[in-house]
Amino acid sequence: MTKNKLLHPAEEYAAQITRRNFFGKMVQGVGTLALGSLLNPGLLSANSLASTGSLGTAGLGLPHFAPKAKRIIYLFQNGAPSHVDLFDYKPMLRKWHGRQIPDELAKGKRFSTMTGGQEERPVIAEISNFAQHGQSGAWVSDFMPETAKVADDLCFIKSMYTESVNHAPAITFFLTGSEQPGRPSMGAWLTYGLGSSSEDLPAFVTMTSRDKEASCGQIFYDYYWGSGFLPTKFQGVKFRGGGDPVLYLKNPQGTNREMRRNILNDLESLNEINFQEYGDPEINTRIAQYEMAYKMQMSVPELTDMSDEPQHILDMYGPDVHRKGSFAYNCLMARKLAEKGVKFVQCMHAGWDQHRNLNHQLKIQCKDTDAPSAALIKDLKQRGLLEDTLVIWGGEFGRTPFLQGNIKDYKNWGRDHHPYVFSLWMAGAGVKPGVTYGASDDFGFNPVENPVHVHDFQATVMHLMGINHEHFTFKHQGRRYRLTDVHGHVVKGILS
Amino acid sequence: MHNYVRQISIFHTMNRYLTLVFLAIVALGCDSRLPDEVAEATDNLPEVIDFNFHVRPILSDRCFHCHGFDENGRKANLRLDVREAATAVIAESGNTPIVPGNPHKSAVVERILNQDPELVMPPKESKLELSAEEKAILIKWIEQGANWKEHWAYIVPAKAELPQVKNQTWPKNEIDFFVLKKLESLGLQPSEEAARETLIRRLSFDLTGLPPTPEAVEQYKQDQSTNAYEKLVDRLLSSRHFGERWAWEWLDVARYADTNGYQGDPTRIMWPWRDWVVKAFNDNMPFDEFTIKQIAGDLLPNASRTDILATAFNRNHPFNGEGGKIPEEVRVQNVFDRVETVGTAWMAITLNCSRCHDHKFDAISQKEYYQLFDYFNQTSETGKGSSGTIPPVVDVSPEEDLQKIAALKKYLIEIANEVDEVEIDKFPREADQPASKSKKIQEAAGSFFNAFDNQAFDRGQFVLRKIYEHFTNKDPSYANLVQKLREARLEYDRQLSENLQVMVMDQLPERRSTHILSKGNYSATQEEVFSGVPAVLPELPDGMENDRLALAKWLVSRDHPLTARVTVNRYWQAFFGRGIVKTIEDFGVQGDLPSHPEVLDWLAVDFQESGWDIKALFKKIVMSATYRQSSKVTKKLLEADPENKFLARATRMRLPSWMLRDQALFISGLMVDSLGGEPVKPYQPEGIWEEATFGKIKYQQGQGDELYRRTLYTFWRRIVGPTMLFDNSSRQVCEVKALRTNTPLHALTTLNDVTYVEAAKVLAERTLRAQKMDSDRLKYMFELATSRKPKEKEISILTDRLEQLKKQYSEAEEEAKKITAVGEYTPATTLDLTDHAAFTVLGSLVLNLDETITRQ
Repeated sequence: MTKNKLLHPAEEYAAQITRRNFFGKMVQGVGTLALGSLLNPGLLSANSLASTGSLGTAGLGLPHFAPKAKRIIYLFQNGAPSHVDLFDYKPMLRKWHGRQIPDELAKGKRFSTMTGGQEERPVIAEISNFAQHGQSGAWVSDFMPETAKVADDLCFIKSMYTESVNHAPAITFFLTGSEQPGRPSMGAWLTYGLGSSSEDLPAFVTMTSRDKEASCGQIFYDYYWGSGFLPTKFQGVKFRGGGDPVLYLKNPQGTNREMRRNILNDLESLNEINFQEYGDPEINTRIAQYEMAYKMQMSVPELTDMSDEPQHILDMYGPDVHRKGSFAYNCLMARKLAEKGVKFVQCMHAGWDQHRNLNHQLKIQCKDTDAPSAALIKDLKQRGLLEDTLVIWGGEFGRTPFLQGNIKDYKNWGRDHHPYVFSLWMAGAGVKPGVTYGASDDFGFNPVENPVHVHDFQATVMHLMGINHEHFTFKHQGRRYRLTDVHGHVVKGILS
Repeated sequence: MHNYVRQISIFHTMNRYLTLVFLAIVALGCDSRLPDEVAEATDNLPEVIDFNFHVRPILSDRCFHCHGFDENGRKANLRLDVREAATAVIAESGNTPIVPGNPHKSAVVERILNQDPELVMPPKESKLELSAEEKAILIKWIEQGANWKEHWAYIVPAKAELPQVKNQTWPKNEIDFFVLKKLESLGLQPSEEAARETLIRRLSFDLTGLPPTPEAVEQYKQDQSTNAYEKLVDRLLSSRHFGERWAWEWLDVARYADTNGYQGDPTRIMWPWRDWVVKAFNDNMPFDEFTIKQIAGDLLPNASRTDILATAFNRNHPFNGEGGKIPEEVRVQNVFDRVETVGTAWMAITLNCSRCHDHKFDAISQKEYYQLFDYFNQTSETGKGSSGTIPPVVDVSPEEDLQKIAALKKYLIEIANEVDEVEIDKFPREADQPASKSKKIQEAAGSFFNAFDNQAFDRGQFVLRKIYEHFTNKDPSYANLVQKLREARLEYDRQLSENLQVMVMDQLPERRSTHILSKGNYSATQEEVFSGVPAVLPELPDGMENDRLALAKWLVSRDHPLTARVTVNRYWQAFFGRGIVKTIEDFGVQGDLPSHPEVLDWLAVDFQESGWDIKALFKKIVMSATYRQSSKVTKKLLEADPENKFLARATRMRLPSWMLRDQALFISGLMVDSLGGEPVKPYQPEGIWEEATFGKIKYQQGQGDELYRRTLYTFWRRIVGPTMLFDNSSRQVCEVKALRTNTPLHALTTLNDVTYVEAAKVLAERTLRAQKMDSDRLKYMFELATSRKPKEKEISILTDRLEQLKKQYSEAEEEAKKITAVGEYTPATTLDLTDHAAFTVLGSLVLNLDETITRQ
């Protein structure tokens, strides 16, 4: 049987009393002591986990080895960016433009029902212009001018492949390792395993944005940042674009922070009386949670206050940075959260599903996201944060090198979902900068060199955080589950 | 055992002189001396090693993955899950894995003790290990004869005799004898009975989901009759709030929501089924009937509309209506969901593993999974469609609306027949061919001839309009007839959208064939299979057609070992914070063993014998001395049993968030106490739905009474559930486990959400009107929230705060106005503003007391 390294109940009991004393002091305004341990879900969880019988962070012995990355910012591009128009340059497409995609590639492959029944599948050339950039000579399309400028900091993987042809299952697969909802998301796994290093913010934060014209209907399901079968405290906390950034963050109208402080002091004293009688350690856990809530009421608005940001930084993220809930705003927030030690920031941006609007919408989509993504890299780098922050940029699959629609109907050109090969980039902690890893065939249809499966990608992310993905399991319904199911190999070729 | 250790040691000194051939024969390597830690662990083992309690958990967890039931995953041709195989010579190696009575001849022992990392079992790459204690258990078990037993959960339960206990005065019913016996064997004492105000509060939440009124508390405290407690229990069991409280738990199991989920997330009408559940609990419908109706109500002889409505249980799953979806994939996905939901809810079998391969741990083969699949594969659902209501449906509207729709349908059919007849003349084609095959129509209608693919009755408004417009000038009389049909169609569709069409189960007239699907892929069909139940469980009842109804009856048959146990266990969890089997969702070999197997079996059998009487089961549980204990915990108890597995005390539990909201509404007096009906939309921060749906769906907050209904009636959008609930099942898949972890977000909700602040405001008003003196007011408010009178020091803390708040608000009238203006509720007559504001803040304080949000 696995040994649980949680505190012995008696020690825990003693610790509670100490913790209570600590609060007693803080209440009197003495302490600006680090609340870190109290806010660390691992430590906070000790008691409540005991009642569910699962291991707390304290018992997991993580990380397994020294991590290269202390935190992750995942810029998830919902809808599937077209790899052949953005990063995976294929001159062959121009040569074959208008001709049917070779049967040996497409025959028998699954596509969505939108082109599954389409009789004509003409190849179409990239709709952008490619050029090589930086010392590394990375190919980047002119739709992504700012990303091109930081190409030497990025590691492109051009041989990604996945399994589902539909959005929701494919996104769920990327983020949870399974196509069906119900498993913990990557951020939940990591915060469960590694705890928090932020003193007054949640360990796992998620933000969403979409293209301005809402051209695509992909929904952000909350299981994209869910905790699955892990305790719900490990689920991502959604920072909202409008209203309170965190639900119910603001004190009620007609009250103020001082009043709240007083009320919390009273609550603590009254709960303490009950604790003396009942001795239930949960009572003290609750006090700690109310305290963290109080801290968050201060720290979150501070975070969303952009007035301290110099103009040149704001400019770098682009004009949208002033619009709450935009991708640019979320990228800047991600940097601020990283600075504060938040372990996993998941920014999801929808709008990459160009089935019928490739020719005008893809460019707009890139304009919304290109500068903010590049700015985030530059901003982290100049602050020395890129060394231990892993940034990931990519969608759930790629798009077909052939056309969806009628080739004569230029206005409504599109590309369908393409899980067989696609590209993403990573940057920062532990990842080789300025390299391209893996390759697709001449049509950008299948991987031909160093294929990277989603589970390989997940294994690599875990590795960078100091976790051996095969050893990091949670027993549920009689089975030991992992983020990577029973698969996945660390992609050693991209490690610095 | 020591004998064995000596043998091994002797063997060890001998083996230096022995030949390799001999080594191979006895199958023990060079380092076969029993390691010290294993020898030491052996000394601490119980006298008799029990297969189910000691051995199987080890074999299952560390060995079955490669040496278990799954034939395809089996390594070295070795299986350890059945005795015959494990004790037979393996042809390839000549080894005998287990020689009963002879550990040193058992290859298994050699391999688990082996020091060579290449040879030790479990192998290095499995990342699994055996502890010294576990090795010792296996060795001692083999020494004692290596007896296998059937997995406990598959043996039909029986009532054990009540054990002898030392403390004769404590037990109140059968549960207590077993619990006490265990406690006495551990040297623990049960706790004293909880105070009356604690008991009534605990019972009220457990049975009705609401706190008691102060009057009810007082009445119970004053009741000197010997059966005062029982009278209270009976009163609460017969409350109509009982059904609302217990329906919630079943709605989580049934993954109930008011929308389909996925893109667009269209609204469906499933709430009549929710009301059916509430009524079933209130009427104390026997659980076997509850089961049969929900799984196969449509197949009952002379099934009523209500019987069919019950089968909505199996249509509560999400439905993917995304563009680009493959309908058959969606359909198959939904059947998986039904199979697995029924597996979890009634049998606590983790069937989903067998979707892709034979179960690694439990004896459920992939073929058996698809045999179960076949039962649920026979409905007319096609996977097509993107609206909220996906056929098959049952119309449960009031009689008047049923008549209306029938009349409209009759009229629609008449006109449609007329159109069909006219078209036969107008657009000649071969018999049985649709009009679109007519040359005439291909000429006349041009590119949209496929509008005529369907018979007139099956044409939608859109198509009919196109036909009408096309023929208006060319053929006015025909066009007018089409227009008449279109109007009839519009009228029919409009009425239909007003009727209560609930998604339910039906049975195809002709069987849809079922195949094993390789890796669960909808299109990778393999061998054909037919409905059937797993071999490890009892056979189907005789003399019945082998359909869903047979499956339902089988689940509640007397010799089914799981249903009653699983149900009792799930309910036990609600009363004690954890199940007797902690893994509520898994009664398989990888699940936890029961902490009190005799209690579980006694209650399971009693439940069946009582005619599956749920209220009788609950009464039995709450009448026990075990349940009535105080939840106070001492350091000693915490050390001895931190999880309260052995029940030497009651369990304190934070109330689930839905109950917290109900409580706030109830004690403020805001709660609108009406039963059932359409879901309502209480307070929710702005923009929540818009954010999740790209602005396409806006939350239209309800008004007046709709804001104050019990949380059960809150509209549940599947992609973004009600925001005030911070700990609930997400209603995506069947969930049976209580989720009660705490985060700071909980505190933010109960401190700042308008729901709670408004409740505090109205609680303040209630308090101010009820009492004149501040000290009485504080007591009154405290008692409403906690069901007990406050202590001196508690009152003194509150008094100090009240004085300060009054001072603050008297100096800041604007602020006082703001806090008393939270929410839609306005008092009938005005109150003193300062008092109202100060008591509102105090109201929020008492609503957030740990004691208020906890059931002690």
